[in-house]
Amino acid sequence: MGRLFAILAALLVLASPAATQTGPVLPLYPQVRPGRVLTFPADHGAHPEFRTEWWYVTGWLKTEGGQDLGFQVTFFRSRPSVDQANPSAFAAKQILFAHAALSDPKLGKLLHDQRMARAGFGLAEAAVGDANLIIDDWTMRRAADGRFLTKVGGKAFTLDLAFRPTQPPLAQGEGGYSRKGPQPSQASHYYSLPQMVVSGTVTRGGKAVRVTGSAWLDREWSSTLLDPKAVGWDWVGLNLDDGGALMAFQVRDAAGKALWAGGSLRGKDGAVTRFTPDMVRFGAERLWRSPRTGGRYPVERSLSVRLPQGERRWMLKPLFDDQELDSRTAGGPIYWEGAVTTQGGRGYLELTGYVSPMKL
Amino acid sequence: MAAESPILSLRSLAKSVPGGRVLFEGLDLDLAAGEFVAVMGESGVGKSTLLNLIAGLDGADAGQVAIDGVGLETLDDDARTGLRRDRIGFVFQAFHILPHLTLGQNVALPLVLQRAPGAEALARAGDMLDAVGLPGRAGDFPHQLSGGEMQRVAIARALAHRPGLILADEPTGNLDPETAGRVLELFAAQVRQSGAAALLVTHSDVAAAAADRVLTLTRTGLVERHGG
Amino acid sequence: MAADRPRALAARWMILGEWRAHPMRAVTAAVAIAVGVALGLAVHLVNASALNEFSQAVSTVNGDAELQVRGVSPAGFDEALYPTLARLPGVAATSPVVELEAGAKGADGPVTLIGLDVLRAAHVTPSLLGRPSGADAAHGPTSEAAFDDNAVLLSRAALDALQVKPGDRLDLTAAGRTVPLAVAGTLPGVAEGQQIAVMDIAAAQWRFGQIGKLQRIDLRLEQGADAGRVRAAIARVLPADAQLVSRESEARRSDALSRAYRVNLDMLALMALLTGGFLVYSAQSLAVARRRAQFALLRVLGVRRRALLGQVLAEGAVVGLAGGVAGLGLGLALASGVLALLGGDLGGGYFGGVEPELVFAPGAALVFLVLGLLTAMGGSLIPAREAARAQPAVALKNVGDSVDPRVAPRIWPSLLLLAVGAAAAFAPAVGGIPLFGYGAMALLLAGGVAAMPWIARTMLTPLQRVRVAGAAVDLAFKRLWGAPSQAAVALCGIVASTSLMVAMAVMVSSFRGSVDDWLGQVLADDLYVRAEASGGGFDPATQAALARTPGVARMVFQTSTSLRLSPDQPPLAVLIRPFDARRMPMIDSATPPAGATPVWVSEPAAWLYGWKPGQSITLPISGQAAPFFVAGVWRDYSNQHGAVSLDSADYTRLTGDAFRAGAAVELAPGAKPETVIAALRARMPPGLSVDFAEPKTLRAFALRLFDRSFAVTYGLEAIAILVGLAGVAATISAQTLARTKEFGMLRHLGVTRSQIVAMLATEGAVLGAVGVLAGIGLGLVMSQVLIHVVNPQSFHWTMETQLPWTLLASVAAALVAAAAGTALLAGRRALSADAVRAVREDW
Repeated sequence: MGRLFAILAALLVLASPAATQTGPVLPLYPQVRPGRVLTFPADHGAHPEFRTEWWYVTGWLKTEGGQDLGFQVTFFRSRPSVDQANPSAFAAKQILFAHAALSDPKLGKLLHDQRMARAGFGLAEAAVGDANLIIDDWTMRRAADGRFLTKVGGKAFTLDLAFRPTQPPLAQGEGGYSRKGPQPSQASHYYSLPQMVVSGTVTRGGKAVRVTGSAWLDREWSSTLLDPKAVGWDWVGLNLDDGGALMAFQVRDAAGKALWAGGSLRGKDGAVTRFTPDMVRFGAERLWRSPRTGGRYPVERSLSVRLPQGERRWMLKPLFDDQELDSRTAGGPIYWEGAVTTQGGRGYLELTGYVSPMKL
Repeated sequence: MAAESPILSLRSLAKSVPGGRVLFEGLDLDLAAGEFVAVMGESGVGKSTLLNLIAGLDGADAGQVAIDGVGLETLDDDARTGLRRDRIGFVFQAFHILPHLTLGQNVALPLVLQRAPGAEALARAGDMLDAVGLPGRAGDFPHQLSGGEMQRVAIARALAHRPGLILADEPTGNLDPETAGRVLELFAAQVRQSGAAALLVTHSDVAAAAADRVLTLTRTGLVERHGG
Repeated sequence: MAADRPRALAARWMILGEWRAHPMRAVTAAVAIAVGVALGLAVHLVNASALNEFSQAVSTVNGDAELQVRGVSPAGFDEALYPTLARLPGVAATSPVVELEAGAKGADGPVTLIGLDVLRAAHVTPSLLGRPSGADAAHGPTSEAAFDDNAVLLSRAALDALQVKPGDRLDLTAAGRTVPLAVAGTLPGVAEGQQIAVMDIAAAQWRFGQIGKLQRIDLRLEQGADAGRVRAAIARVLPADAQLVSRESEARRSDALSRAYRVNLDMLALMALLTGGFLVYSAQSLAVARRRAQFALLRVLGVRRRALLGQVLAEGAVVGLAGGVAGLGLGLALASGVLALLGGDLGGGYFGGVEPELVFAPGAALVFLVLGLLTAMGGSLIPAREAARAQPAVALKNVGDSVDPRVAPRIWPSLLLLAVGAAAAFAPAVGGIPLFGYGAMALLLAGGVAAMPWIARTMLTPLQRVRVAGAAVDLAFKRLWGAPSQAAVALCGIVASTSLMVAMAVMVSSFRGSVDDWLGQVLADDLYVRAEASGGGFDPATQAALARTPGVARMVFQTSTSLRLSPDQPPLAVLIRPFDARRMPMIDSATPPAGATPVWVSEPAAWLYGWKPGQSITLPISGQAAPFFVAGVWRDYSNQHGAVSLDSADYTRLTGDAFRAGAAVELAPGAKPETVIAALRARMPPGLSVDFAEPKTLRAFALRLFDRSFAVTYGLEAIAILVGLAGVAATISAQTLARTKEFGMLRHLGVTRSQIVAMLATEGAVLGAVGVLAGIGLGLVMSQVLIHVVNPQSFHWTMETQLPWTLLASVAAALVAAAAGTALLAGRRALSADAVRAVREDW
């Protein structure tokens, strides 16, 4: 899930201009409420009236040479609080971001790139009705055959990938209403597409390599997300080898205590177990200290879930330690977003708020 | 000595003034090392012109001037200049001591022009100034000198680079008789000591008397003067 | 080479000895070179510094974009071009920009207001990104301040000019609208001295009435893209009201802006160097003449001709080198002083608002040093050849001027130089610079100086026959007549500096007179009203209301805008007012055919763009290229880069813009200006601030501006005169001192002291008079080259010759007096020497 871009979004959203003589017309953001039914393909498309939204794909790739790579492709939409009366085509009524990263254990660090633009002129758009996102030369869209196609990248690398869903969408929380904090309004509309089959090419240094693999798509949109006491969060999404899918997250306060937690496990039989906050516990097994930022991340950790059939424990081990991403030059936060393995599965782990608290 | 070739040799020399008047024709003269000859004649007969011809500063209408057996008419201006620099020393009536050079520099000038190192040239100039009776004055400037002293400096300069031939044009013309006598005495002594050939042009009998031979310049050449 | 060193020692003794004996002569010559080099370098450095600062200013406003598409006029172009350009292959990033000239009440000069999409600019022009102040600071340049439509970020200079600090509120006026804004931060990437305000592009479009419009798009090309092909692709999609501008063409434009002016100053400075060269010639000629016997002695002692030539040239070289090095230091000091005092354009008004720092240019310094050296050696060449050529035997015997007084000086070499110079004056400009014109001036100067012996002889011949009372005056005339080449040596400095000064003075006075006449014609009304630059001006309703003000007989509204026709050229001014032939100093005209839209073009515009009356041209006045008929050419001194005048009604019809920024008011008979001003003020719409001016204040202001821009020219003139006077003094005193023996002889013959002094004063005065007359004559000829060749070719305007009689007369009198005075002073000094001893020395 694309929690980290929530930071960026919040920065933009916070822009509430002081009253002018004419009085600005500020946007009215709809609240996330339980009971809304997910409909497709409409919910693959954008929900521009909400404050924030993201399309977040993470996954594992295998090259023809048998090498393992991790990747992340995110498109993010934000609706800043600017005067809606501005007739300018440049008015920043919708801002789009995109972020791509490639984890190569041989390199020992992330390759990443980003795009950012205000929507408009056909140069940056997030379509309503079905997934179709564009920021200049970066795109992500859903084709007629149901596959998601994306082209992203820059100087260091490009990804040209197709994701074929193999399972129906997994509605998170109560039918897609996912609580993020103690208040009912602190929530998002949230569904995932786990166990997608990946095919395509990864190009580095002008050399294109065919890849295959498995990916996880997170779709979330919201207007208020986090509790004011939150400083960061941990999130993991795992494609299990038997076809199952596991997602868990916790929102932490300044003391590192979980303010809220949640997640779900869909078994190979399709049966879904929804996690309540008291069922999920993240443990830190090994810390890694970033030589660049000094941040101390629990890169190796345990995830314990009290399932009805008994407590289960997954050990999460990173593909390699240094999967830290510093996006401060683009106005973003410092966080850790890395490929991890576990017994009987693999996926992505996201750790935010470890260098400095995420102020929202 | 007789076998020795002459330093200066003039053969059938002829020269007219630009107006057309003939100064002299068929002039012959040989001058060997150690010879000191005076040439006399009235004003305007061409005494100075003869010296200019010998020095290569003027060209003859006919005849040859040879220095050390080299005919000047065969040389270009640069070569004549080189010959003058190396083989001839001059003493002028008007001294021509450069006012802005020290006495030492004035005397050393011919040596320096011959590419002698400065220190060496100045040392030799000091010796020459000693020899002409101006010891320790190498650093002085000419404006402090009397006429006689100027001409002593000029004599030192004429001999500094050990020339084979010394040409003097009325060297005592600007001096009072008493000084003139002392300067002539010095000139003759220095010339003899150097072993160079010397040609002195003058209209003064007193001056001419210092020479070994006295010749008179006429329209037909140089005539030996007897019993003078 | 080592073998040559002792002989060089002889030359060194000779040179050092000479300078020890006459240090002031060498110093005077070196000073002349130093002044020339200093002036040249100073003018060059000031120009280079200003240009450097100016192009920095341009590149900061442009944020160092690789390529730009700009609107040809401040109205900009349709924003639809932005996505088109962004999608072109080879274009890596694009940044759309709204750019307006903005102001605020009490602000010190205009501010460039830039509306930016920070997300785009980050990839193209990062130097324009701001630093938000206060709580936002932590979030970097893309925080909310960037999207806040009330926020403005200001450069340091803009903060100073608007007298605000971060956190303050500010009412900014641009495109006729005043908008209250909050100063949200600073622009640390903007170069010092640049007054720039940055706000969100959407806010700028909305708040300042620019919806749908952009003034420019900044572009970055993909690495390795074929720039030529991408440019061609861009050019294909550009509408008529937009233009592709590269960093180089911007540099060329800023260069073109002031190039003619800078080259003119450089040339004037070089003329000063040339005068210095003539002084070196004078000094060396005298030195050689005086030392003729010395050189003869050296020749007798065996120094070759070439060695002698080398020695005199070496003297010149050392003088040139010493003068040159001193000149470099002097030039640096002068340049920094001038920059501090007058600003970077030397008063020319080309680099408004720029306060440059001195940029030292080692290359240019070297060039000027070498020029100084060459000038000094050139000045020594003729004396050196003379020294080497002299017959040593003759020279040893004859002291003094060995020239036969009966031989008349030759005139044909000088006639040849003058003829070539005159021919060069008819050649066209080279790359917009009148190189041949300057060549013509240099040749005329050389020809004039070369003619001096002949002129002196010719002018003095009648004096020979005049029977004057007094032996002294007679003696003076005889000597001057008999030794014309010596007189010429003394004169060449005077002639060179006088003629240059006269040429400049005549040109400036002609220019000033023509500008004054022109002002009288264009400022024919009683009163002028101007709305504040960024205020948008008077709408049609206001215009009608103002025109009905009591006391106003007629009120003509006008405005101006600008148009870029070529990316390399500064923009063309477009003046919009109802056509009135009375207020246009027409040079040429044609009657437009029915239905054609007439346009009247200024003289520089006609010259620059090759427009002729009767021609049909296209101008992108309204965003699309529209046809216009050239109905006339008018004289204009206010827009060096050209102006066109459009009839008010045509402009409104073409653009729909009926706003006017100013008006000319004709008062009703008997109406008092103050009363009418008050009445007009009362009718102004609220929020519109206006200035009133009467023609006489405008005229005085314009002439003050003119004088300021010519301040440096006056300064250069004054220095040329001083150098010339110093030359006269040095030459005459040297010549006089060299004649000590002559005076001694005259004293022996029974000439009294006062007679000799009178003779010298007469000689000096006559010499000065001859020099001044010749100099003025030559200067008048050269002024015609300046007026009819250099000015039209550089600035594309013409003027009528007007002579500054008072100035010419007073300069002539001063030069004659100076010549007589120095001759007198030098004579008294020469006479104080022991006359008897002087005679004995050489006789």
